[in-house]
Amino acid sequence: MDDERKVSVKKMSDEKITTDISFTKEILTKYPKEQRYLLAILQDIQRHYKFLPRKSLSMVQEYFDIPLSRLYSMATFYKALSLKPKGEYVIKICDGTACHLRGSNIIIDEIKKLLDIVPGDTTRDGRFSLETVNCLGSCAAAPVVVINDRFFGKVTPSKLKEIIEEYGGNGDE
Amino acid sequence: MQIVIDGKTCDAKRGEFLLDIAKRNGIDIPTLCHLDALPGEGNCRMCIVEVLERGRSRVVTSCIYPVKRPVEVLTNTPKIIKMRKTLVMLLASRVPENDMIYQLCEQYDVKPPMRFTKDPTEECILCRLCVRACEEIKLNAISTVNRGITKKISTPFDEPSDTCIGCGACAYVCPTNAIKIHDKNGKRYMWNKSFELLKCEKCGEYFTTRENFEYVNKQLECKEPKILCDKCKKTQAQENLRDIFSTYEM
Repeated sequence: MDDERKVSVKKMSDEKITTDISFTKEILTKYPKEQRYLLAILQDIQRHYKFLPRKSLSMVQEYFDIPLSRLYSMATFYKALSLKPKGEYVIKICDGTACHLRGSNIIIDEIKKLLDIVPGDTTRDGRFSLETVNCLGSCAAAPVVVINDRFFGKVTPSKLKEIIEEYGGNGDE
Repeated sequence: MQIVIDGKTCDAKRGEFLLDIAKRNGIDIPTLCHLDALPGEGNCRMCIVEVLERGRSRVVTSCIYPVKRPVEVLTNTPKIIKMRKTLVMLLASRVPENDMIYQLCEQYDVKPPMRFTKDPTEECILCRLCVRACEEIKLNAISTVNRGITKKISTPFDEPSDTCIGCGACAYVCPTNAIKIHDKNGKRYMWNKSFELLKCEKCGEYFTTRENFEYVNKQLECKEPKILCDKCKKTQAQENLRDIFSTYEM
């Protein structure tokens, strides 16, 4: 078992992360071999690893006996799925109409200043990821920022700094 | 059952697609993503027509519209022309430098608008016909990747695909010639992968990739295949036939 794991880790060196694939096996055993469970499985994998490791994808591919191209198509289609490792804290900045008008771009710039990441990126220490979303349905509180399902409304650059500090990002990065 | 297309009475079976009926009766409906071998894509929407039924008019996509009851169909009404113009205009905005779409622009007298940012290198209209072709060959080397404005056709991870055999079916079916095959010095390059080309035993011309040749012969369960190009294969078949007939005459 240990040897097997070492090999898999070696193969995944391009992903710069040591991934334990046994959890993928566990997920697969929980679902029947029906294609309608595909998305649910991918979501489970995403939740556990914070992204879709390539090794896991090929395991899913083998399990369902479907082409890799189909899986890749799915993985790139859904915003909830990611092929790059996501950070521990996913910062979602609303860039819908209301938030945009109320200066969400200033918030995005502020994050760039504080954490040196642009939307779609993850900090080098793997703690924060930044995403923009189109509307969170709380336009009255614009601009809105969500960090791991916690909402922050009427965010200003100074307030944002406090929030980031609360999550342990001291702006030194 | 009989339906009327542009004033012409046509025989139709229930469930048959409108486009097929029109084609059979020599009525021209423009298409991009339709091939008789790969029907039912319904992505490009160029084949829209108007269906008149119970005094109402409806715009339908003829390549995926099954006929259920006798209806009247009009393929060239001002409404349809206007909608096709919009489609051509949008396609021309996506692939500004493409010859096929340029011809459509000329035909429909469309000028692409200036307000969209254009990529002069883009040739693909994302009709998915290549993906479908690859699916039908059961290779599934390519698929649509991403969504929205970043959507494109590619192999998984943009890497050389394990399953691609360089057959070129994707390029063959492409309505805009967006997929390029580079054959050079006995090698074929496509989808970031290089293939060895095979020479025809008779005429000595490169004609297909080794992977394609082996795959086809495996599918056809051909035990000892000869490496012949299409032309030479035809000539050989003719010769064989002639031999057979000449022995009869004797």
